[in-house]
Amino acid sequence: MTSQTLQKVDHSALKTNQIIIISLNILAFILNLPVLAAFVALVMGIGSVLKVPGFGIVYKNLLKPRGWMKPDVLNDNPEPHRFAQFLGFLFMTGGSAALYVGASTLGWGLVWLVVALAALNAFGGFCVGCAVYYWLARFNLRGFEKQPPAGTFPGMKPKASANV
Amino acid sequence: MNSEILIRLVAALGIIGLGLFAYWCVNQRLLLRAQNNVLSLFSKLPNKPVIVYFTTPDCVPCKTVQRPALRQLSGLMGDKLEVVEIDAAKRPDLAKQWGVMSVPTTFLLDARGAARYVNNGVARVEKLMEQLQTL
Repeated sequence: MTSQTLQKVDHSALKTNQIIIISLNILAFILNLPVLAAFVALVMGIGSVLKVPGFGIVYKNLLKPRGWMKPDVLNDNPEPHRFAQFLGFLFMTGGSAALYVGASTLGWGLVWLVVALAALNAFGGFCVGCAVYYWLARFNLRGFEKQPPAGTFPGMKPKASANV
Repeated sequence: MNSEILIRLVAALGIIGLGLFAYWCVNQRLLLRAQNNVLSLFSKLPNKPVIVYFTTPDCVPCKTVQRPALRQLSGLMGDKLEVVEIDAAKRPDLAKQWGVMSVPTTFLLDARGAARYVNNGVARVEKLMEQLQTL
C-alpha cells in the first residue's frame, strides 16, 4: 500500500445520510411521489457540490447535539464517499427523469437500486461507489488518486486500526 | 388510490424482505465460516457459551458501547460465559478466516462450539442476552 494522508471521516454522518435516503425513497415509492425522489436527488446533488453528505445536516444539527447518534470518526478518504454520493445523485436524477416521462419501471428501478446500495453501505459497511472509485484509481485516472486505507478492502468501512 | 398505495406497500415490503433474506444468507455463510474455524481459537472447547469479539484499538463504538456491554454481560453471567476478544489488527489472519468485514463483530458459539449468531456492528446487552438465552 502507498502511504497517504487520511482524514477524519465521521461515518455516523454518512450513515444518517444513507438511512434518510433509504426512508424517503421507499416513502416516495409507496406514495407514488416522484417529486419526493426528485427532492432526494436534489439534496444529494447539493451535497455533492458542497462536498458533504446531503442529509448530513440532520445528523449535525439534530442527532449529534442531542446524543441520539454518537460520532464514529475513522481515518478514511472522504473523496470516495463524495464520489459515491455523486453516483447516487446521477442514478436518482435518472430515476426521477424517467418517472416524469412515464417510464415508471425504469424510474422506480433506479430508485430501488439507490436504496439497495445505500442499505448495503449503511447496514453492511460496504460502499459500492467507493469501490468503483478505488477501481478507477487503479487506472490512474485524473481525480481518482486515493488508495484504500492500509489493510482495508476497497469499499469496506475501514477497521479503525488500519490507519494507526 | 388507497388500493394502489396498499399494492405499493406490499411490493416495498416484498423487496425489503428479499433484501433481508439476502442479508440472512450472508450471515449464514459467515456462521459456516466461523464454524469451520472454531478450532483455530480453541485447542479444547470450554463447554460453555462463548462470545468471540473482534475489535481494533481505535474502534470508537467498540470502546464506548461494545466492550462495556460485554463486561456487563460477563458480570451477569459469571463463569457461565467466556468472552474471547480478538484484536483484528494484530490477528488479521483470524479476522480473514472468520470473514470479519467490520468491527465490532461478535460471534456467539454454544457450549458445543457451534456458531449460532453473528452480529455485524454493535450488539447491545439486551440483544446478546436474548441470543444467549436461546443457546
